[in-house]
Amino acid sequence: MDSDRIAEIIIAEIRSTVPELEAQPITRADSMADLGVDSIERSEVILATLEAIGLKVPMVQLHGPRNIGELADLLHAKSKA
Amino acid sequence: MPSPRPDVHPPVVTGIGVASGLGHGKDAFRQGLFEGRSVFALLARPGRQRGDGSPPFFGVEMPDPPSILPPRVERTAGLSGRAAVAVLDEAWREAGLDRVAPERIGLIVGGTNLMAREQFLSLRDYAERLDFLPPRHGHVFLDTDICGLCASQFPIRGFAHTIGAASASGAAAIVAAAEAVSSGRVDACIALGALQDVSALDLQGFRALGALGAGPVCRPMDRGHDGFLYGEACAALVVTRPELAGGTIYGRVLGAGFCADGCRGPEPNSDGQVRAAQDALADAGLAAADIDYVNAHATGTPSGDDAELETLRRLNLGHARVNATKSIIGHGLSAAGAVEAAAVLIQMREGLLHPVLHLETPLDEGFGWVRGGMAEHRIRHALKFSFGFGGSNIALVFGAPEGAAA
Repeated sequence: MDSDRIAEIIIAEIRSTVPELEAQPITRADSMADLGVDSIERSEVILATLEAIGLKVPMVQLHGPRNIGELADLLHAKSKA
Repeated sequence: MPSPRPDVHPPVVTGIGVASGLGHGKDAFRQGLFEGRSVFALLARPGRQRGDGSPPFFGVEMPDPPSILPPRVERTAGLSGRAAVAVLDEAWREAGLDRVAPERIGLIVGGTNLMAREQFLSLRDYAERLDFLPPRHGHVFLDTDICGLCASQFPIRGFAHTIGAASASGAAAIVAAAEAVSSGRVDACIALGALQDVSALDLQGFRALGALGAGPVCRPMDRGHDGFLYGEACAALVVTRPELAGGTIYGRVLGAGFCADGCRGPEPNSDGQVRAAQDALADAGLAAADIDYVNAHATGTPSGDDAELETLRRLNLGHARVNATKSIIGHGLSAAGAVEAAAVLIQMREGLLHPVLHLETPLDEGFGWVRGGMAEHRIRHALKFSFGFGGSNIALVFGAPEGAAA
């Protein structure tokens, strides 16, 4: 699964967690904070994504990415490790 | 025994929101109560079936609460939370609480272990994949999440907390709300009897205790009674100082008695019940002879009904009209005291009493049971009983609004 596919999963999870964003265009360049996703919602999005791609990593290892694309890259790297 | 209230103007109820198996809102509640519509059926909500071929549970489930919350919040709220927001919204609007300063508004949510069914389902769904449990579980499993949810959607900034007294929790919330208003701690306080969302585990516990009826209907105070039937319910009552009542006043909270009887389990205790009633009457400055209507706790368990009848006899309440709201909507557990107090106040306003359903052969013919349909009756002073496992006994005395026609 490449980073773009992981980003699509993240974006789908963002839309289901915050239905208010259903109609809003979301790209790899957007950050969840800028989209108005709060910290608990962000954790929910990431956990749901981890489950969808079959990856188990502690949440503390997933701080740092500044946007959806960087998060997808990080998850992609972890899934290959 | 409490000393009589120092204030000459007791708090009043100015807003009511109700949800039950009869539907959402007061109109559905009023219509169903007076028609005496029976809504008992097999419990169908996920997490309420044993699934092993043993007899299913009968009871009452409500239609889905109306969507009031923003979508991102609604998806995080369980049934108890959504029902709470719906009844709060109805009561809030009716009482015009937007006119009251947020710091002068309190919220007391009656009930404990409110969302057991959702925990039961979460455990089932996540037992094999606990690493992916949504983080939100860490705060939504707490009963106080209902307080937080309500205060996040409505400007309540005085206080918001829970109070527990088992099946008397809703009545305990009313007692505490009236005290908060009488003492001047806040100007308005919402007493919310929360929906006790039970799981099959809890229902089986009640069955094993011998407290639960076999169904398909519940027969409080009838020789054919065999236990209570669970009924989803939720109600909010806005209690305010009378001078703040902008709209109509349903009734006055004249007195309350709330005592422990020393029983740990489900055993009823007539001594405790009588003492609660005597305290409530003393608090109201009334005698039992002044009570013209009793809304009984009347769950339909043989020992509970017998103890309460003994209490009514000891208080010499043979002259009063009596009914049992659980015969129509089932036993709301944490919500029961609040939803039944709402029934008292709605009957007070309408000048009507709802029937006791399925009361064919009363255990004691010496009381003014409302049978065979609704009855016209101008309530002046109502006595509401609410009892809870663990030895909680509550009696509330409600009075018609001042100036109401006799």
